[in-house]
Amino acid sequence: MDLKEVSQQFERFKAAFVKNDFDTCANLLSQLKVLLTKFRSLPPLFENTPNAVNELLLAREIYEHAVVLSVKIEDQDAFERDFFQLKPYYTDVGSRLPPSKQEYLILGLNLLRLLVQNRIAEFHTELELLSATALENPCIKHAVELEQSFMEGAYNRVLTARQTAPHETYVYFMDLLAKTVRDEIAGCSEKAYDYLSINDARQMLLFSSDQELLEYVKEEHPEWEVKNGSVIFQKAKESTPCKEIPSLQLINQTLSYARELERIV
Amino acid sequence: MPAAAATMVSSAGGLLAMLNESHPQLKYHALSNLISFVDQFWPEISTSVPIIESLYEDEEFGQQQRQLAALLVSKVFYYLGELNDSLSYALGAGPLFDVSEDSDYVHTLLSKAIDEYVSLRSKAAESSDEAAKVDSMLEAIVERMLDKCIMDEKYQQAMGIAIECRRLDKLEEAITRSDNVHGTLAYCINASHSFVYRREYRQDVLRLLVKVYGKLPSPDYLSICQCLMFLYEPEGVANILEKLLRSENKEDALYAFQIAFDLVENEHQAFLLNVRDCLSAPKSLPSESVQPGSSSPAHAQNENSTAPEDVQMTNGSSAIHEADPKEVMYAERLTKIKGILSGEASIQLTLQFLFSCNKSDLLILKTIKQSLEMRNSVCHSATIYANAIMHAGTTVDTFLRDNLDWLSRATNWAKFSATAGLGVIHRGHLQQGRSLMAPYLPQGGAGGGSPYSEGGALYALGLIHANHGEGIKQFLRDSLSGTNVEVIQHGACLGLGLAALGTADEDIYDDIKSVLYTDSAVAGEAAGIGMGLLMVGTATEKASEMLAYAHETQHEKIIRGLALGIALTVYGREEEADTLIEQMTRDQDPILRYGGMYALALAYRGTANNKAIRQLLHFAVSDVSDDVRRTAVLALGFVLYSEPEQTPRIVSLLSESYNPHVRYGAALAVGISCAGTGLSKAISLLEPLTSDVVDFVRQGALIAMAMVMVQINEACDSRVGTFRRQLEKIILDKHEDTMSKMGAILAAGILDAGGRNVTIRLLSKTKHDKVTAVVGLAVFSQFWYWYPLIYFVSLSFSTTAFMGLNYDLKVPKFELLSHAKPSLFEYPKPTTAPTTTSAVKLPTAVLSTSAKAKARAKKEAEQKANAEKSTGPESSSAAANTGKGKSSSEKDGEAMQVDNPPEKKSEPEPSFEMLTNPARVVPAQEKFIKFLEDSRYVPVKSAPSGFVLLGDLCPNEPEVLSLTDSPTSASSPAGGSAAGQQSSSSAMAVDDEPQPPQAFEYTS
Repeated sequence: MDLKEVSQQFERFKAAFVKNDFDTCANLLSQLKVLLTKFRSLPPLFENTPNAVNELLLAREIYEHAVVLSVKIEDQDAFERDFFQLKPYYTDVGSRLPPSKQEYLILGLNLLRLLVQNRIAEFHTELELLSATALENPCIKHAVELEQSFMEGAYNRVLTARQTAPHETYVYFMDLLAKTVRDEIAGCSEKAYDYLSINDARQMLLFSSDQELLEYVKEEHPEWEVKNGSVIFQKAKESTPCKEIPSLQLINQTLSYARELERIV
Repeated sequence: MPAAAATMVSSAGGLLAMLNESHPQLKYHALSNLISFVDQFWPEISTSVPIIESLYEDEEFGQQQRQLAALLVSKVFYYLGELNDSLSYALGAGPLFDVSEDSDYVHTLLSKAIDEYVSLRSKAAESSDEAAKVDSMLEAIVERMLDKCIMDEKYQQAMGIAIECRRLDKLEEAITRSDNVHGTLAYCINASHSFVYRREYRQDVLRLLVKVYGKLPSPDYLSICQCLMFLYEPEGVANILEKLLRSENKEDALYAFQIAFDLVENEHQAFLLNVRDCLSAPKSLPSESVQPGSSSPAHAQNENSTAPEDVQMTNGSSAIHEADPKEVMYAERLTKIKGILSGEASIQLTLQFLFSCNKSDLLILKTIKQSLEMRNSVCHSATIYANAIMHAGTTVDTFLRDNLDWLSRATNWAKFSATAGLGVIHRGHLQQGRSLMAPYLPQGGAGGGSPYSEGGALYALGLIHANHGEGIKQFLRDSLSGTNVEVIQHGACLGLGLAALGTADEDIYDDIKSVLYTDSAVAGEAAGIGMGLLMVGTATEKASEMLAYAHETQHEKIIRGLALGIALTVYGREEEADTLIEQMTRDQDPILRYGGMYALALAYRGTANNKAIRQLLHFAVSDVSDDVRRTAVLALGFVLYSEPEQTPRIVSLLSESYNPHVRYGAALAVGISCAGTGLSKAISLLEPLTSDVVDFVRQGALIAMAMVMVQINEACDSRVGTFRRQLEKIILDKHEDTMSKMGAILAAGILDAGGRNVTIRLLSKTKHDKVTAVVGLAVFSQFWYWYPLIYFVSLSFSTTAFMGLNYDLKVPKFELLSHAKPSLFEYPKPTTAPTTTSAVKLPTAVLSTSAKAKARAKKEAEQKANAEKSTGPESSSAAANTGKGKSSSEKDGEAMQVDNPPEKKSEPEPSFEMLTNPARVVPAQEKFIKFLEDSRYVPVKSAPSGFVLLGDLCPNEPEVLSLTDSPTSASSPAGGSAAGQQSSSSAMAVDDEPQPPQAFEYTS
């Protein structure tokens, strides 16, 4: 009967979801999650209640929706939260449940998120956990290819990949990815050049207008200086001279060793 | 379904994510689930600790949720090994932290909590301001723990924690609620001695214990009095003794005597004298109105001296005076107990025992004497020292008498030592000490004798009366003031210090001080030591005066004497001495720093205090002066003597030092702290040092080895035999260095000390330190600079005997069982083949047969004893008549042997042995001693050695006494005393009061 109550609630959530009424969705979702804590068959307890499979299925679907919802409302934190709560349904009880259609889509989204947040190590950890068949899936493949381009520095390919996104939800992350790419370029140019002309900088950072560039500099890199038609990167901090040899300290240390040696019994 | 059963969570990620949910119920759900999985997923959770911490600090979160968060964080920190953080969060978890849970987490945190609490409490107690506030949560946890221990009847744990936490209220609760109050109290006393490092606090604990004892229906007065002694409360002891003495019951009186003997064993002269003076005098006769309330000690004493006579009179004619029989009885008992408290009773009994059971092997000395080069005076006097030590307290000076010519080669200071040696031999011969030494003492102004022998004689008097100098003090003072010769002053200062040990007598102090201010090196050194001896353990102001003079004088000898003297004054004062120690150890003068080491050693004697050990180890490796380093290592021996097993481990590295002084110190440290234990590890450590490349290290190691092995025989540890042979080899070796040769000779002396009936013991049976013994060893270790101080080692000798005493303080016939093979603890065999025969084994043979006989019929035993009594003198006189010296006793032994060998050889060694009162019971043997159930006498306390009062179950039957007090007039001539003594001891029944030996003269 609990199960029934939850499914009814979920139906209402789905209705709101379809209507793109995200506020209602968020409210309902929160209630749903609280209701789910009552089920003892769900992670982390995994008790064998009679309705276990149904409950698990329901919970999985709720969390899948929650993940998608978070993308729609463009909330990365919520995405991460919900994804981690969803994950045990794929990994721990995956064998007991019929596979979900959404699974690869969501896993792909997660990979993309990690890429956007520039968490490459975690990206690869996740990748290692996937089976060979999963890697064949277009959603996953897409993310993997993106990562390769990203690593190679083929940023233009990353940007054009937006058009080939396997699912509408991917678009959000693709937009974010463009920014990540830009940050990456900015970081490199900072290291590579002392200064760049505004024109070069605009091309380099893939902006279409000088205005956008100036705004970007103002927001993201206030330490950069724009003057005389060029962007000057602050390199003063790196130019600290080679450190002095701590001679006094070394002498003291050596002397104290000598003294200790004397004392050795 | 079966597959589902195996479903397990693979990650805590989901739950951790849930923590970030906005709904509080979800957070709670996540927390409670995380708690149950923390054991498995703590590595994952640890990355999210900040989130959980912030939940704990979130005011809006419910109380229980917050505590849950705290518990979770605490567990994660526990797994991360951050116990401090873990504990503070566990405290935040409040009731959720379950003390009774049986998990590693809870156990670890509890011990951590208790440690924390203990350190906070002791810090609070030490800084004495209340600023250091203890967290109430912490206190609550510890209290919960204590209550739980008491509920579970784990009283020992509860007491241990309570003592550590300085929670005397809980301690009292634990003791009173335990089922066996006496047992727990005894445990508690032990614990407070071995584990409570701060003296003041220990006294608090003991005071509490006395209070608890007092409340019991049947108090254990023995323990109470021990506690009171630690607290230095003579009035309390006196009250108890008086109560017991006034009791109708004879048992109670015996009990009082027993208490007195136990107190005497701790050698706290000043305290004993105080107790004695606090005992109120008997209200002699009701008809004669004695001033009531004569409480002033002086007055009381005056009356006491007259009391006994009164009693005897009234005893004879009680009808006339109508004396209150109770008071009569009390007066009689009072004289006895005063005799005990003054130490006379025990000293006299010991003397008799040592004399009658003397088993020293003259042949060893003879070998040493013959093997030495004529002109080597160091070895010559070493032999004299060895002889004195071997015969310490036995009054047997045959060797000296037989070798007067040889002896006369001692000149100057050697003569001083030779004369002083007599004091060691006659140690405790209180009544006749003075007349014994008379020929050598300064003859009022006549100035006939050599100053060296006169000075030596005064020193000897001090040794005879060590720690019991009531009678001789005045004479020594007069001698001191009557001379200007520095050698005599030297002897007199040492003698006075010894006789008035620890009495803090101002007049004597001033006398000695005036000698010090003459600024004579020789006399000044002794004066410094003498002042220290006088003021032992008083922590007197005078120390600063002494220190000031030490800075002023130019003589190194005086500075050294004073440094040691200052160290002696802080004996046993622990933290109280810290300022003085600091002052001395920071001094520019290495000699004073060296005194500082002794101050550390003596102030923290036997406490195994970590701070002291750390300090000593620091000096041992960092000081620039070899003397200071050596002493620092040596001092470790004193600090650790209560835990001898520890010492070899602590000094093992130091014993391999490149610096020979440190090696020497390590050897002596082991020797001091493991003295008389025969500890295997100690022997292993010393063994390589006895063949060190440096001569003085060999010397130290040999002496230390002898100290460790004293009274251990070859059957116990085969290395003893090896060591004896090694000594012999060193002594016989012509090319051996003088230093190590001297060490070997002294070692031979110490190994057979006191006629093989004494051991070196620094702790009494009640685990109290023996002041005299510790002081004796401390001054003994000075022999590095001044050989005559070797004699101080005799102060540390304690007789290993069981002496059962009856109500009259006489030694009745009484038997006890030693449940071990006799060979394990018997005397070592005499050196050469002919003498090995029966002299040693004979007593056991007689004992075992007679024991069986006695078990069968008491009357038979009495007859037999009578027979022995009658034969004893005969045989002794017969032996005496046959001739003098060794040969006669050998023959004697062979003759006696004839009776026994056949039966002895045929039977296998028995697994037990019957000992007859008074019996030699070596320390290792104590655990095998059992009392017989159907014996006539019942011991008041079941101690395996020492003085034990015996209750008589058949008081009307005549008693058979073992050691008779009355000196017999028919004495053997002094020349044959060795022979006479041997035969009488084999009879084991009768012996004579040792006779004052005739004076011998030096023919220098």
